[in-house]
Amino acid sequence: MANELESTNSAIQVAVSVKDEVIHMQDIGFSYGRKPLFNHLNLSVMRGNIYGLLGKNGSGKTTLLKLLSGQLFPSEGYTSALGFDPVERKPPMLSEIFYLPEEFPLPKMKAKEYLAMRSVFYPRFDHTMFAQFCKDFSLDMQQNLSEMSLGQKKKLLLAFGLASNTALLILDEPTNGLDIPSKRQFRQTVASAMTEDRTFIISTHQVRDMENLIDPLIILNDGAIIFNDTVDSVNDRFVMALVSSDPGPEKGIVYKEKVLGGWMVLKEREEGEEVQGQPLDLETLFNVVVENPTLMAGGAR
Amino acid sequence: MMKRFGLLVNREVQTGKRDLSIYALTIFLVLFASETINSFVAQYSRMGFAPAVYDGLFSNFLFIGGFIITSLSFASDMFSKNGQHEWLMLPATSFEKFMAKGVLSAFVYPIAIILLFFLTSVVTEPIQLLFFGNPVTLFNPFTGGLGSQLASYWVWQSVFLLGATYFHKGHFFKTVLSIGGIGIALATLGLLFVKIIFSLKYGSSLRTFDVVFSFDRFLLDPASGAIGAFRALGKILYYVALPIFCWVTAYFRVEEVQATDAV
Repeated sequence: MANELESTNSAIQVAVSVKDEVIHMQDIGFSYGRKPLFNHLNLSVMRGNIYGLLGKNGSGKTTLLKLLSGQLFPSEGYTSALGFDPVERKPPMLSEIFYLPEEFPLPKMKAKEYLAMRSVFYPRFDHTMFAQFCKDFSLDMQQNLSEMSLGQKKKLLLAFGLASNTALLILDEPTNGLDIPSKRQFRQTVASAMTEDRTFIISTHQVRDMENLIDPLIILNDGAIIFNDTVDSVNDRFVMALVSSDPGPEKGIVYKEKVLGGWMVLKEREEGEEVQGQPLDLETLFNVVVENPTLMAGGAR
Repeated sequence: MMKRFGLLVNREVQTGKRDLSIYALTIFLVLFASETINSFVAQYSRMGFAPAVYDGLFSNFLFIGGFIITSLSFASDMFSKNGQHEWLMLPATSFEKFMAKGVLSAFVYPIAIILLFFLTSVVTEPIQLLFFGNPVTLFNPFTGGLGSQLASYWVWQSVFLLGATYFHKGHFFKTVLSIGGIGIALATLGLLFVKIIFSLKYGSSLRTFDVVFSFDRFLLDPASGAIGAFRALGKILYYVALPIFCWVTAYFRVEEVQATDAV
C-alpha cells in the first residue's frame, strides 16, 4: 500500500513536472558552417519564472534563443517549446511566444498603426495593459516609429510583448539602449507583468540591471549549459565573505576577488554553518560558475 | 486560416503603404504631365490631338513596376538578418505568409493599377478639355488587349517572384540577367536543334538563313494540325506550367531559406 502510494505520488510529481516544463531541449547539436557551437546541449525551463540567460560574448545565447523559438533549426537533438516542436513553427506556438531581439527594424508608420496591425495576431493581447505600460514608459502612440530612438522602440516592443500575454516571452539584451530611469522602469514593468502562467527568458550582459529580477539563472559556456539553478541554491551551499588579506589556496575557497578593503571570497559552507555572509551578486556568481564549471555541475543542488 | 491570411495581407499593405503611395503619386504625375504636354503641343503646333497616353504607359507601369514590386517583396522579411525575425515569429504558417505577398503582387497590383489609371484619367481629362479643348478620352481597361497583357504579367510576375525568393540581393536585376542568360542559352540550343534536324532533311549545306526562311514559310502554318497542337501545348506550358512551377519553387525556396538562411 505504501509502495503504491509512493509510486502514485511520484507519477503525479512527474506529470506536474512535465506540465510545468515550458522548454525541453535534449542533446541539441548546432553549428555555424563547420564550426560547432552546441554539442549535446540540454536545457529545461520551468513555467512561472523569470530566467536570466548569461554567457560570454559569442557563447551562443542568441542562437539558443533562436533555436528554442524555431528561428534556427538544430542539426540534431530534440526540442519542445510549449509542447510544440519549434521547427514546425506552427501558428498556435508562435502566438504564444513573443521574441524581442537585440536589434530590429520597424516599419515606417505611427506607433498606434503598428499596434493595430500586429496585436491582432496575439489572441490574448491586453490593450489596457499596453496603454498602462506605454504610460509608464512615457511613450507617445501618435509618434512615428522612424522618429523614435532605439530605447523608445525597445520600450514600445517590450510593452507590446508584455501586453501580448504570451506564455513565453524572450528578451534579448532588453536593457541595451535604455537610459537609467528606464532600466528601473523596465524591472518594475517586467515584474508587474509576471504571472504563474508565464515564463520570461532574459538574455543579458548587463547583470546589474537585472539584480532582483532574474532568478533562476542559465549560464552558457563553451557550448553547454553549465548552470541552471537559483541564486538561493548557491547561497545554501556557499557563503560569501570579505577578508582583509589574501586567503591563498585555502581549502573550501572556490573564488576570490581583490576588492577595496580586502578580498571577497566565496567558500563552501561547513556542515551546519548558518553564517549569513555577504549578498551574492549575479556578476560574482557568473564569474564563479564560469571559472569553476565542474563545481556546480549544472546547478548548485 | 482565412482570417490570418487577411491579417497578413493587411500587414503587407500597412508596411508598404508609404512607398506605394509615393509610387501611385508618381504614376499620377507622369500621366498628368504627359497628357498636359500632349495637349499643349497639339494646341500650339496645330497638329491635332494625339491619342491619350494611358494605353501606352499602362503596360510599362504594369510590367516594370509590378516586376520591381514583386522582386522587392521578400527582401527585408526574408533576407535581412535583423528584419527576418518578425516575419519568422509572426503567428501564421509559411504558406500563408508566402501567399499574402504572392497574391498581392500577382493579382491585387494589376487591379490597383487599372483603377489608378482610370481614376487619373477621370481627374486629368476634364482639365485637358477645360484648358486645351482636348477631347475626353478616359482610360478604358477593356480595350487594347488588356487580357493578353494580364496573362503575360501573370507568367512573368511568377518568374520575378521566384527571383525574389531565390536571390539574396539585387533581386530585380539578377532576375532580368538570368532571364536574358536563359533566353540566350535556349535560343542557341534551339538554333542548334533546328540546324541539326534540317540538315538531316535538306542536306548539310543548309545555312541559318535558309532554316529561318524555310521554318517560317512552310512549317508555321497555324492551320496545320501538328503546328496547332504544338502551339496549344506551348501555350499551356507558357501560361500554366511555367507560372505554377515558379510559384511552387518559390514557396519551397521560402521554406528552405527559413530553415537555413541564418546559418
